[in-house]
Amino acid sequence: MERARRYFLYFCILFLVLVALSALLAPLAAPFDPTTQHLDSRLAEPGEGPYLLGTDDLGRDVFSRILHGSRSVFMVGTITVAVSSSLGLIIGLISGLGGRTMDNILMFFVDSLLSFPTILLALTVVTFLGYGLSQVMLALGVLFSPVFARMVRVETMAMKQEGYIEAAHVLGTGWTKLIVHHLLPNMAGKLVVQGAIVFASSIVVESSLSYLGLGIQPPNPSWGLMLKDARNHMLTAPYLAVWPGLFIAMTVLSFTVIGDWFSERTGSRTA
Amino acid sequence: MKKAILAIIIVFLVLTGVFAKGTDDMSTVQVALSGSPDSLDPHKTSGTLTFQTIRSIYDTLVEPDRDGRIVPALAESWQVSDDSLVWTFRLRDGVTFHDGSDFDARDVAATFNRVLDESVASPNAADFAAISDVEAADDLTVVFTLSEPFAPLLSSFASGWGAILPSELIESGHDFGIEPVGTGPFVLSEYLMDSRAVLTRNEDYWMEGYPLVDEVVLNIIPEPAVQLQGLLSGQVDILANYAPSDEDLKLLEGYDSVEINRNVTALVMVIAMNTSRDYLDDIRLRQAVAHAVDKQAVLDIAYGGGEPVGTFMDINDPFYEDFTGLYPYDPDRAEQLIAELEIPEDVVFTMTLPQNFDPHVKAGQLYQEMLEKVGLKVEIRLVDWSTWISDTYRAANYDMTVIGHTGKLDPDGRLAGYGDGGMYVRWTSPRAAQAIETARSVLDFEERRRLYTVALEEMARDVPFVFVGTNYRYIFTRERISGFHMDQKLDSFDFRFVEVE
Repeated sequence: MERARRYFLYFCILFLVLVALSALLAPLAAPFDPTTQHLDSRLAEPGEGPYLLGTDDLGRDVFSRILHGSRSVFMVGTITVAVSSSLGLIIGLISGLGGRTMDNILMFFVDSLLSFPTILLALTVVTFLGYGLSQVMLALGVLFSPVFARMVRVETMAMKQEGYIEAAHVLGTGWTKLIVHHLLPNMAGKLVVQGAIVFASSIVVESSLSYLGLGIQPPNPSWGLMLKDARNHMLTAPYLAVWPGLFIAMTVLSFTVIGDWFSERTGSRTA
Repeated sequence: MKKAILAIIIVFLVLTGVFAKGTDDMSTVQVALSGSPDSLDPHKTSGTLTFQTIRSIYDTLVEPDRDGRIVPALAESWQVSDDSLVWTFRLRDGVTFHDGSDFDARDVAATFNRVLDESVASPNAADFAAISDVEAADDLTVVFTLSEPFAPLLSSFASGWGAILPSELIESGHDFGIEPVGTGPFVLSEYLMDSRAVLTRNEDYWMEGYPLVDEVVLNIIPEPAVQLQGLLSGQVDILANYAPSDEDLKLLEGYDSVEINRNVTALVMVIAMNTSRDYLDDIRLRQAVAHAVDKQAVLDIAYGGGEPVGTFMDINDPFYEDFTGLYPYDPDRAEQLIAELEIPEDVVFTMTLPQNFDPHVKAGQLYQEMLEKVGLKVEIRLVDWSTWISDTYRAANYDMTVIGHTGKLDPDGRLAGYGDGGMYVRWTSPRAAQAIETARSVLDFEERRRLYTVALEEMARDVPFVFVGTNYRYIFTRERISGFHMDQKLDSFDFRFVEVE
């Protein structure tokens, strides 16, 4: 059992490395341009002619679109994690180190953000800012910042009570130095775990937004959009839904598995 | 492989009981409807789904026959005075409403006073605005007095907005949006929003011997793939709102139990261009766009097939004129025109697409590629339907957009407002505007035809739209069903002549 889990973990890591590589090398690796329409070979089945995973209803190569789609997945994931963790860090640190009033005010906003359903909030932000990739990333960044803020706040408050921190503070070490040298390194493990989970969630939300037509605009490839287009061909070309669905599921699963593994490791270390 | 997946999906749908069941000893017809009606009040809606539902519940004074000619319904005959200002209708005797009350001239008067009542705010009150007075001369005679001659009036009466309601209930403020009461062939016996509407035969219907079936169940199934499943598994008898891909058609042709009936809709599929925007105000660019588009390919791939048109009229309309030869598919000519314009490198045109209409989104992507090939940079922007209505259609905040214009019984319904710089294409042509304006008050067919030809030719030459074509409508029925009719212009369902074997 333990062994099977480990092999699965390796598999997930390998899968993510491959997807990451294809994101980086998509223009070189993809056999076709992802938006070029081959109108005479529409809805080709997987393996038919030069099309490894078939073509969609406008004759675009599905394999190339999956590869190019991974770029937006990684871009959205990375930027969402970067934005939300930075925002969360700032809010969490101020909340944890600042006074009670500051903490109450900030947590009020964080809690109200948390109380909205993710998709609804993303829809609202996108409606205000307009459609497109950068808006989606910004929206997701803001959206996921509360989870980081909460975590950082709790960690900061706990660590503030530690003897060595109090001692260092009494001896005149500035907060900036304390944060950089003590607080951040100590919570790094948990940040990474949280980052992996947010990364996975952002992929799902991005796919949903694209599915709703609010994210990446056609004809640019996105796994969510591909899934949306596939809906109309469930009877005649079911594989069109299988590929993007499989990739979304596998990517999310991989991130979650790796995050779990990391949290177990760091958890046992600090315990 | 495909068959296995199909079987799994069908079993799943049956197990989850997606489809409503009728009782066996009655003749029941199961119909797929793409969504819930927004209201069941004919004067407070413009939804196609609503009219598809309530066409069976309400009647109109006159109605279009299968060839599009307007024939008597609740009115037996009518006369128009020499100055075209007084219209006298003789009504059918012995008609009753679903609540048992008799139909007479007072109901007609009360109905049209309601349509014109500003507090009712009927979305299509303009179709009846020429009526200055409506009066019940006796029990079965009603007289309309107009403020100006208005040729489209008969068509307005035949449209869904002309549905006749009982005067007593109008006066008592009855909510027809929830509980419709009409004289129609069916009575609404059950309505569950987002689930189904059940129509039961009206035993006292004025058309002797009709309707033929006891019950019609409108199953509300928004997802096209599920509609098709329902048809293939036999749980849906009539599927009329489905836009099949060519793959779907191949699949359906393999089923002996399904009959495929193809005719043309009354839609005109277009690329609308905002002629007040830079570069698009130049006719050469608009001509280039028209030359760049392979109309037949777009119709086949995105719209399930159809016939190209060259102007703002569907191909079956009596006022249709063929202008397809003006700007034929000619990418080289398009490229040449665009090169002449010397558009700077950084100019990108936005193509706004309504994201809830998959065929338009698909067409938009085809257009984009066709335009890029002749050297025009186009970027796609998806918007939801309400944004499209408010921002694109009403506020004209767009460069190009892709849409289909629905059919109207009278050409004025389609053309009114174009040419005077208004409407969302912001197109100005005094000649066309004048012709459209004049034709509205002319009752003679040949004279109207001459005037509309002027307007349609102006539109075809000046290309505020690329007129792409009229798409095919497919009606799929199980073989045990016959007699189903869908009105070409009104898009509504007529179940009166439906028979179950």
